[in-house]
Amino acid sequence: MKYDVVIVGAGPAGTVTARFAAESGAKVLVIERRQEVGVPVLCGEGVSRKIDEWGMLEGKRWIANKMDGARIFSPNGTMVKLSAEIAGNETGYVVYRDIFDQELARQASRAGAKILMNTNAIGLLKDKDKITGVKAKKQEDEIEIEADIVVGADGVESKIGKWGGIDTRLDPMDLETCCQYTLTNIDCRDSYCDFYLGNKIAPGGYIWVFPKGKDIANVGIGVLGNLSEAGMPKKLLDEFISNNPNFKDGNPIRFLAGAVPVANPVESVKDNLILVGDSARQVDPITGGGITHCLEAGKIAGETIGLAIERQQFDKETLSVYETGWKEAFAKKLKRNYMVKEIFLDFDDKTLNMLADSLKDLKFDEISTFSLIKALVLKHPTLLMKLRPLMKISSET
Amino acid sequence: MGKPKAIVDRNICLACGGCISVCPQDALSMYGGRALVTDEKCISCAICIRICPIGAISGRSVSNEI
Repeated sequence: MKYDVVIVGAGPAGTVTARFAAESGAKVLVIERRQEVGVPVLCGEGVSRKIDEWGMLEGKRWIANKMDGARIFSPNGTMVKLSAEIAGNETGYVVYRDIFDQELARQASRAGAKILMNTNAIGLLKDKDKITGVKAKKQEDEIEIEADIVVGADGVESKIGKWGGIDTRLDPMDLETCCQYTLTNIDCRDSYCDFYLGNKIAPGGYIWVFPKGKDIANVGIGVLGNLSEAGMPKKLLDEFISNNPNFKDGNPIRFLAGAVPVANPVESVKDNLILVGDSARQVDPITGGGITHCLEAGKIAGETIGLAIERQQFDKETLSVYETGWKEAFAKKLKRNYMVKEIFLDFDDKTLNMLADSLKDLKFDEISTFSLIKALVLKHPTLLMKLRPLMKISSET
Repeated sequence: MGKPKAIVDRNICLACGGCISVCPQDALSMYGGRALVTDEKCISCAICIRICPIGAISGRSVSNEI
């Protein structure tokens, strides 16, 4: 089999890349090891409203619920409410990720990309050091797929990156280890995404409640890898649910696990090779959100592939149009939020409570970072020391 | 007796890929929809055991196996 580009992984990063590559004239094959696109879901299913700007999804079938905003609860239960205008960037919709992914795959197919299911990449084809395609297993058959460009859209555990010489191994401190129940028979008539913070609740992470309807929600947890131990996320989540009057009688109709890279981005191009999405660590290190980045980066990757094929040049320099493009689009935000993540990790529960106490009465309509920090420090002057690094970052960006 | 190597309980694993992403030896892969350890590569560091959100990985001695 010979294609212009073979894409490993039919998640959003892979199929959006496929769509735009195919639209710009490339002969595209996507391979996916699972037997159904988008299944099993490995995600909290909260997606930013920015998704509307791209206009990449048709209809509304993929939307489960529209959010009015977000509420953050400090360890002692103090609530900070964020309106949709402020929180919408991170919590616009709760989606059905399986339908969402399948809609994107449908669009890739419509553009002319071919998708091959049940096909597991097991290595790269190489001519000396040059990457010339992907070796894969379809059921028990080994197949060789030749291509000028290989795209690793193979998620957090990216093997394509490793095989291609990009160090995608994650330090446990750069990974949120997660699990989640979808609970029914609970009350979530308020359309708010809720976040529960605290070093005992979710060390280095948070518990989320994302309502999918009036009586159903995703209730999940992320714990930072270096602070976790075997099975800790599930144990803490079970405790949280059994201690919560609203959730304890809920009926879990789905349980899933997840792993979210909260790392600095890696090199995303080499000769004949591109990484997109979680494999390139295109994830917000604070929220763990990555879907919008997949869409944005996937489009740039697809267009870059089109350009490379037009020129018949597949070297790193040509493909760097992609790297420059996505870095201009959102790398600054990722870098800044990685620093903010590290600062937040130093906050003990007492500091988080003070922060929430200062924030709870503020009107979050028009705020600048500086006025926000000023307001915080006025109420709890001892926060000044803790927030100084944040002020430095905000004044620089 | 060697140090215990990691083993994934395939009845529990939900294929999140976290263990694969943190393994310093690239000793884990997804196989048949579940994570699988390659014994020859495993150095018994136990990072994957600690990272698993649902406790699907444990250690077991392989000294008596071929």
